[in-house]
Amino acid sequence: MQMVDFVFRNELIKEDFSLNYCYQCGTCSSTCPVALITNGEYNPRKIIEQSLLGFKDLLLKDQTPNVWLCCTCQMCVEECPQNVFLTEIFEAIKNRIVLLGEPYPETYKAQAKSVLENGLAIPLTQPIIRRRDQLGLPNVKSANIEEITKLLETTNFKVKIKFLEESK
Amino acid sequence: MSYNYFLGCVIPGRLPFLEASARKAFEKIGMKVGDQANCSCCPDPTGVAQLDNESFLVLGARNLCLFEESNNNILSLCSGCSETLKTVKHILDNDNEKKKKINMKLKEIGRNYKGKVDVKHFAEALFENIEKIKKMVKKPLKDLKVAGHPGCHYLRPSEIINWDDPLNPQTLDKLIAAIGADPVDYTLKSDCCGNPLEKSDKDISLTMLEYKLQSMKEAGTDCIVCVCPACYQQFDFNQKEVNKNKNTDYNFPVFYITELIALALGIDEETLGLNFHRIKVKEILQKIS
Repeated sequence: MQMVDFVFRNELIKEDFSLNYCYQCGTCSSTCPVALITNGEYNPRKIIEQSLLGFKDLLLKDQTPNVWLCCTCQMCVEECPQNVFLTEIFEAIKNRIVLLGEPYPETYKAQAKSVLENGLAIPLTQPIIRRRDQLGLPNVKSANIEEITKLLETTNFKVKIKFLEESK
Repeated sequence: MSYNYFLGCVIPGRLPFLEASARKAFEKIGMKVGDQANCSCCPDPTGVAQLDNESFLVLGARNLCLFEESNNNILSLCSGCSETLKTVKHILDNDNEKKKKINMKLKEIGRNYKGKVDVKHFAEALFENIEKIKKMVKKPLKDLKVAGHPGCHYLRPSEIINWDDPLNPQTLDKLIAAIGADPVDYTLKSDCCGNPLEKSDKDISLTMLEYKLQSMKEAGTDCIVCVCPACYQQFDFNQKEVNKNKNTDYNFPVFYITELIALALGIDEETLGLNFHRIKVKEILQKIS
């Protein structure tokens, strides 16, 4: 049985105080395109309810509803009559899933890996450099990778995302 | 203060022809935009931010610093990048504690964020020049029906983006009309294209795209116009996927608004790299010639 976890609830409220304002009207779910397509299986109102109750295991381990299905379109944020910043709260939940080492979609890690190794999500390849040349575009002088590495060490990014561990 | 481009990752690394059209369009309307060296990934508001907010803030703040140091404002060619940079700026400018914390980290690489840089999405800059563009049109795109897709991060969250109507967007359609084309009104105009969900559920992502395409088709459009490379990829690369998975036959050419503006201002189409589009644009070019 899920127990109300006040510590976790307060942790999320501290991340974004607007969580407190939710009165569960469900406007978010009615405006969410993913809720529509999944016939309510993805349900932003429910994620907020679980957050208010501090249902830590449901949110971080079971991930039902699956918070990774938020498409970040922010329709819910615009429509919410109580100004709850839902996507910020979802981001805080996702950050905690990652930190705990619970499963998350592989593509996110692939992007992070590229940023760690190249400073860019999409590094420039030889064919693209040639194509840029054909189009008369200037060379891209992107970030010095040592600087990016040093900066991401200050946030412990590699450790947080379990960069060196195999994904579950 | 002058502007430098923030190119991001997707446009220079995958869709350089979109960059070519933007550079040509801005040059033509007489807006001088420089280049900024040393940028990293913005980082992706739908990617890195979801893994670790702190890393999102430091990488974003570092990019802001580069422009501050060179005394330039930011002109972003991508909605994701402009959302990230606007968000990081908003957070650091309004939360002194966080700003201090992030600056402590930036100190390790000899940088410091002050908060004097302005971030602009390229379509905002085009819209500010709309009267000029109207006057400069050489080849009005008459009778061309265009479904404008403003996309999410160009508009929302409105508290931070502070631009256009987040639920009933107008600026893109006005730009389409400014070059003589006909912006079509369709039901799902302010909806998401589905691109961010490619990372976690391809099927939902394609269904979202299918809904958009259906809505555009019902409104009788000839082509689609975007202001974000992620949306551009979703529409240009994935229409085929939708057809394969959903038994449909969509084949709408997809443009960046800078491409249509460049064409209307009389820029030679041969220099725009339109041949790199996945869905061929030849019929549209014939229609407007």
